[in-house]
Amino acid sequence: MIFKQACKLPVTVITFLGIALVSHYALAATPVIEIKIQNHLFLPETIEIPANTKVKLLINNLDPTAEEFESYELNREKVISGNRKAVIFIGPLPPGEYPFFGEFYPKTAQGKVVVIEP
Amino acid sequence: MFLNSVVLVLQEALEAALLISVLLVFSKHYQIKPRWVLVAIGLGTLGALIFALNMASVSEWFDYVGQEVINALIQLSILFLLVLLVLPLSINNPFKKPRANMLKSNFWIMAFMVLIVSLAITREGSEIFIYIGGVINQPSYVQPTLAGSGIGAGIGISAGVLIYYGLLGLPRNKVTVIGLCLLSLVGGNMASQAVLLLTQADWLPYSQILWDSGSQIPENSVIGHLLYALVGYEATPSLFQFSGYLFGVSMILIFWLLGKLISAPSTMALDAENTSY
Repeated sequence: MIFKQACKLPVTVITFLGIALVSHYALAATPVIEIKIQNHLFLPETIEIPANTKVKLLINNLDPTAEEFESYELNREKVISGNRKAVIFIGPLPPGEYPFFGEFYPKTAQGKVVVIEP
Repeated sequence: MFLNSVVLVLQEALEAALLISVLLVFSKHYQIKPRWVLVAIGLGTLGALIFALNMASVSEWFDYVGQEVINALIQLSILFLLVLLVLPLSINNPFKKPRANMLKSNFWIMAFMVLIVSLAITREGSEIFIYIGGVINQPSYVQPTLAGSGIGAGIGISAGVLIYYGLLGLPRNKVTVIGLCLLSLVGGNMASQAVLLLTQADWLPYSQILWDSGSQIPENSVIGHLLYALVGYEATPSLFQFSGYLFGVSMILIFWLLGKLISAPSTMALDAENTSY
């Protein structure tokens, strides 16, 4: 009996994960926010996104040098090569301010995501 | 630029230093010559250089999330290799009489250690290469960056040496237990980071944040950085990340116990053989 129930467990877990993944991808198109890196600055420095919504950040590094997007509050970290683009997904997040910075040039490369109620 | 370089390089070096020192302690107990670490560092440095040189192209794979996917793959490979490593470590008891198959087993232990360390250095080192590569063309930044990187690496190596001798100074039975615990934490950290990266790439769905310890121990504090390097500390872990961490830790412990179960009959036979003499 216990063995039979134990066998059912993986099937239940896989079904649950399947449903989660399907519903995840079936959601409406993710909003895209574009950010530029120029002269070791994030432009715009402040971006506003709606609360409880997943957002795709499209970061375009216009500098010839690489930068690392980092945010402890957003739990995100990614190297963006010079003159290249990168994508980072953030959220869904509750309302609040989430600072981010460029780890390679932290003195100038500073910004924040402001999450607001829609 | 100087202080930034110290912090950046130290952060990467600490993780590698912990892993290398624990594995060196194990290899000493299993009478494996420490030369493997030089091979691993050489391979890892080469891997990091190749990864750094191709980072721009890799990042554009899979619709601009290639960096996350490849880094997650490296981390999961390290976890897989750690699981494979603890099996022969557990089966062979270095404090008992050596057996005929121990040499063969030690070869696999050494091979897994080389692969684990070289993969870890590839991942950590590539970021350092990209950082230094970026400032090398800006003459005013070169000196402070190189000096800061050198000091960061130096502190990281010193921490590794401290952990190594600290572990060696412990009683024999405790070394194995603490070493195993540290390896399992590294395994948990690898799985947790892989989950985080795959969520960042939108390959895994979002899951709720379990707690927020950011006000007690901020991730950007000295303790936060140390805890991150030692136990993969995250102030706001998600449910999937935490589950990944537990999965990584338990896989290492389960395979260690599995090794003990496999070796139990042969150890008993060996003990019986010893007592009959």
